[in-house]
Amino acid sequence: MISISNLTKVYSKNKIALNVGYQDIDKGIISIIGQNGAGKTTLLRILSTQLKATSGDAFIDGISVTREYNKIRKKIVSIPQEAAPIGILTSYEQIFMYLTARGFSFHSAREEANIALKKVGLYDARNRPTDELSGGMKRKMFVAMALASNADTVFLDEPTTGLDPLSRMEVWSAIKELRGNVILTTHYMEEAEELSKKIYMMDSGKFIGSGSIDELLLPLKGKIRIESRERLDNSYNIGTLYVKYIDSKDLSYYEGKYYSIKKVTIEDLFIIIGVDLES
Amino acid sequence: MKVRFILTMAWYYGIKTILRGPSYIVASLATPLTLLFLVFVLSHGALVKFAVIGGLIAFVGSVGLSGAGDSAFFRLQLRIQDLYVSSSIKPFDYMIAFTLSYLVFAIPGIILYVYLGEVYRLFNLYDSIIMILLMLSLIITTTSISFIISSSIKHLRNIWGITGIITIITSILPPTFYPYYYVPKDFLYIIALSPTTPAAVIAQGAFGLSPMMNSMVYILIIETAVYLILARFLVRWREN
Repeated sequence: MISISNLTKVYSKNKIALNVGYQDIDKGIISIIGQNGAGKTTLLRILSTQLKATSGDAFIDGISVTREYNKIRKKIVSIPQEAAPIGILTSYEQIFMYLTARGFSFHSAREEANIALKKVGLYDARNRPTDELSGGMKRKMFVAMALASNADTVFLDEPTTGLDPLSRMEVWSAIKELRGNVILTTHYMEEAEELSKKIYMMDSGKFIGSGSIDELLLPLKGKIRIESRERLDNSYNIGTLYVKYIDSKDLSYYEGKYYSIKKVTIEDLFIIIGVDLES
Repeated sequence: MKVRFILTMAWYYGIKTILRGPSYIVASLATPLTLLFLVFVLSHGALVKFAVIGGLIAFVGSVGLSGAGDSAFFRLQLRIQDLYVSSSIKPFDYMIAFTLSYLVFAIPGIILYVYLGEVYRLFNLYDSIIMILLMLSLIITTTSISFIISSSIKHLRNIWGITGIITIITSILPPTFYPYYYVPKDFLYIIALSPTTPAAVIAQGAFGLSPMMNSMVYILIIETAVYLILARFLVRWREN
């Protein structure tokens, strides 16, 4: 389990990127969702010892990420946001090289790299330089790297950002092969729904909620989303769109008019949290 | 020290890069070979021995300095450095792995210059040992400088310009392609901040092309230690 205790990150000019009080993060595949700038990447980089915290601490299975980072590094793998492979090297070579950095012998690095490449469906392309691979294959290479490492905890920072729907599904299936704990950040709500049993929500550097999809959607239970290009009372203005949440019993009033009517999803939570209500 | 990682990186990023991208080798040799040709033409062959030895020094130095671009690219664009920060290697392992990769990558160019040295009857066994030591010292100092520079770079767009300027300062300005005694002595000590200067002066002395300047031996030894120690402490690994 990950326990966070008063963890903050303040950049120059007093820009607060992270300000988490006390928070526990469960085991299993966990998603952290939030808009851009919510603090997801900062949190993940601190937890995976890439970035120093300004104050506070966090513990992975009781080991401090700020003081015992050499111990932590043996237990984790962290795939950074928008990580890209070294184009001139093959996926096999990059996984092999990474495993030697983690202390694997040449023999076990070779074996684990091949097993992982088979599991994620990249084995046939293992000898092609990665600059010849598709975006999805490149991302799968990093998942294979995490898989081959046999780490207790894997951090994946926005693993499918910028990929087409089919490539994303391929990466998802590769992520499902991972053992141990997986903490992934995303702003694709369907990705969080697809991959994790528990979702943590972040906004402005803080955790603002956690639970299953159904639990998180409780504030919107029985509601329906109405969208219009024209201004609506008590609505949320997003660009040229006005969004309003109504009780499903009132739906008949809006049907047959120029409204778009939608089922609420976890995406709607970000609207009610992040956008000011217009009266 | 993660020896397996260092050897693997040297094999993949050194040898495989040569095999899959031979144009990189040609590109890294283009400037020193062009200058060698110019020196040959302009001096009517009189300074060509200087340019062969100096060309080898400039080539190895520029290969080491190209590490600044690579390591900044790995850190800022590919995010590979972050990936390795979270593994159990130390920044020094990472830097040594790069250094060895560049040394391996430089081998075809070194062979070409050794061949040119043979053509002009420059090398014997004793000189070859000196040259090997100079090459080792150069690749260590220039890669250390590369890592110090790339660590301080925040935006990738700046690295190519800075590397270009530093490569010129360290490979063309010092007496690599001409006799060191053409340069005023005070200025020689100023440009000795670049490790290619003492390396070139030592090589010219050792090969009997110019009088030996013993002070440059000490300068190069001190510089090798100082740049390595500076890199050890200044290279940014875990970000603040």
